[in-house]
Amino acid sequence: MVWEIAIKEIKEITRTRQFAVASIVIMILMALAIGLSYNYYQQIQEQHEEARINERVIWEQQDEKNPHSAAHYGTYAFKPKYPLSLIDSGVEKFLGISVFLEAHNRNEADYAAAADQTGLSRFGSISPDFILLFLIPLFIILIGHNVMSKEYERGTFRLVKSQGVNMTYLVLGKWMGIYIPIFLLAGIVFSAFAICLNLVKDFGDVNWLAFGLLAILYLLYYAIFTSLTVVASVNIKNSGLTMVSLLAIWMISCLALPKAATTIIEESHPYPTQQAFSAAIAEDKAKGLNGHTPWSEASKKLEEETLEEHGVTSLEELPFNFDGYRMQKGEEHEAAIFFAHYQELKKIYENQKSGYNTLSIISPYLPVRFLSMSLANTDYESHWHFSDAAEKYRLEMQGILNGDFAEHAAYGDWSYKSDKSLWKKIPEFDYQPPGLTQILASNTQSLISLFAWSLITFLGVFLSARRI
Amino acid sequence: MLKATNLTKYYGKHLALDALNLEVQAGEIFCLLGANGAGKSTTINLFLDFIKPSDGAAFIGGINVEKEPIKTKKLITYIPENLVLYGNLTGVENLQYFLSLAGKKLKSKSLEMFLEEAGLQSGAFYQRVKSYSKGMRQKVGIALALAKESKVLLLDEPTSGLDPKASNEFSELLIKLSELGVTTLMATHDLFRAKETGDRIGIMKSGQLIENMSTGEVGHTDLEKLYLDRMK
Repeated sequence: MVWEIAIKEIKEITRTRQFAVASIVIMILMALAIGLSYNYYQQIQEQHEEARINERVIWEQQDEKNPHSAAHYGTYAFKPKYPLSLIDSGVEKFLGISVFLEAHNRNEADYAAAADQTGLSRFGSISPDFILLFLIPLFIILIGHNVMSKEYERGTFRLVKSQGVNMTYLVLGKWMGIYIPIFLLAGIVFSAFAICLNLVKDFGDVNWLAFGLLAILYLLYYAIFTSLTVVASVNIKNSGLTMVSLLAIWMISCLALPKAATTIIEESHPYPTQQAFSAAIAEDKAKGLNGHTPWSEASKKLEEETLEEHGVTSLEELPFNFDGYRMQKGEEHEAAIFFAHYQELKKIYENQKSGYNTLSIISPYLPVRFLSMSLANTDYESHWHFSDAAEKYRLEMQGILNGDFAEHAAYGDWSYKSDKSLWKKIPEFDYQPPGLTQILASNTQSLISLFAWSLITFLGVFLSARRI
Repeated sequence: MLKATNLTKYYGKHLALDALNLEVQAGEIFCLLGANGAGKSTTINLFLDFIKPSDGAAFIGGINVEKEPIKTKKLITYIPENLVLYGNLTGVENLQYFLSLAGKKLKSKSLEMFLEEAGLQSGAFYQRVKSYSKGMRQKVGIALALAKESKVLLLDEPTSGLDPKASNEFSELLIKLSELGVTTLMATHDLFRAKETGDRIGIMKSGQLIENMSTGEVGHTDLEKLYLDRMK
């Protein structure tokens, strides 16, 4: 019986003019968004690939020089663009895409896409995630707001009721009647994504499991909005009022709350300014070992400890070049300072995220937004992950360069030079993004919120049926 | 087939139905006459379990409506004054849907047969119902009763607003159903139609059944006079 009710609802919904118009508009917008996203993705990937290859050539083609000079010369680590960013670009365009790797410094990722855009970009751009997150819920409201209220208004409900139908079956059938067209629409959209992702396979492996989870995530999100729509339609009994109420819910949960949440959270857990952050690092660095200042107190202490450890009385007697050793120790000390300060930033980010998670109790949009970005590797955490990997790579690179200097040059011999063979010994930056298990583990709260929303709203459907 | 025992309904302090005792035999057409607010629709609604009685009980086929509403609804077809169907569905689809709600599945051929039996033109079977006249919609209601094999028809002013031809056709269908053993309880203002169609007539006033007679007992003129006298 539920199925028959659903079929009847589908027929009724799909035969209305508003369904035809709205679905055509959504399909056109989605086609446009996918096309734009696909082109942008291809273009950026090609640029990244070109830059990555060029940068490697530049690194490997350096003339003979002191390894530490090469460390200062530096190179770049490029953040790969992930295939799933085609679906959800997340916060990517506000974050940098490449990190300059040099001695003594942990640099921030640079060249964010937003920095290249004009002020008009403030109005936003059309993207698949915008349609998935904002427009499809609106479409659900449009096609489903009167699913039950029209029965009361037109008078068909008395005839329905007189057939002795179980109200739970009736409401479930109506729920399915709204959800099935949405499910099919999402199916078409995700099939289009799959085709595009297949076409971009040359630029990285698609994590199809993450893609599947992304599809399930959005289907759950639409199930929540379908349930909210049915609950409102059953209880409010007036189509106009139901529409207004659902629009209010949509506006609050998808537009107002996320913006308000950002303001509240940034107020309660502010990041330090770039200036303050750099000053704090510089202050800590000044207190410790610097590979370039052999006369500092910290250098002297290192000298004493090293001599004692090796049982010699002068630096010349050491089995390695102390200058190179000091450089590496200085690097390690600075890395520890960077690590500590970046950990502070991460803590702030964790607090901010926890704030968002708390607010997701009143908005199903927030957990979906966070999970979607995470699965697409376009959230802040993915960026941190890349940034940490770049830093790790920088330290490895410094270790090899300083190690060569320490091993092959005599103490005080700053004229020592290495050649291309050393530059080639530095492995290429091969970054692996966080795995699915890690992504899901870091989004446990969002997952709990999402399941709670799904369960509670679906329970609401059952309870509403009992109230009829 | 239909029985009301001391059936009473209060809306707040207002007494809408005052201890109604009524029995309608199988195959009988019972017409309830009365002014607006006399309690006709309340009686129908109580048999439909749309409202709960304040006292007494309604029975369909010996089953208490209040205690087993789903079971009794399987026995009835209800046709209100203005039978509203789903405009974007065809006549066949509407019939199919309402039958499925009643737990019955029939193939299109059978549905067409019932619609035809109810007097709907075959050209309208697959037209969307939004283009149907009121008379055509009432015929879909009758087709539903036929397809459901309902034992009871509960009609709330079903001929109101129908043209004389459609109204006459509707009456003929009711008589046909009565011959098949279907019991009908019809609330109406149409004295002529009640006399023509009904086996018995009841006149209601202020929630009480003040007359209960066989249509054979009175002529058209006498019925009108009696009705007007009782309404004073």
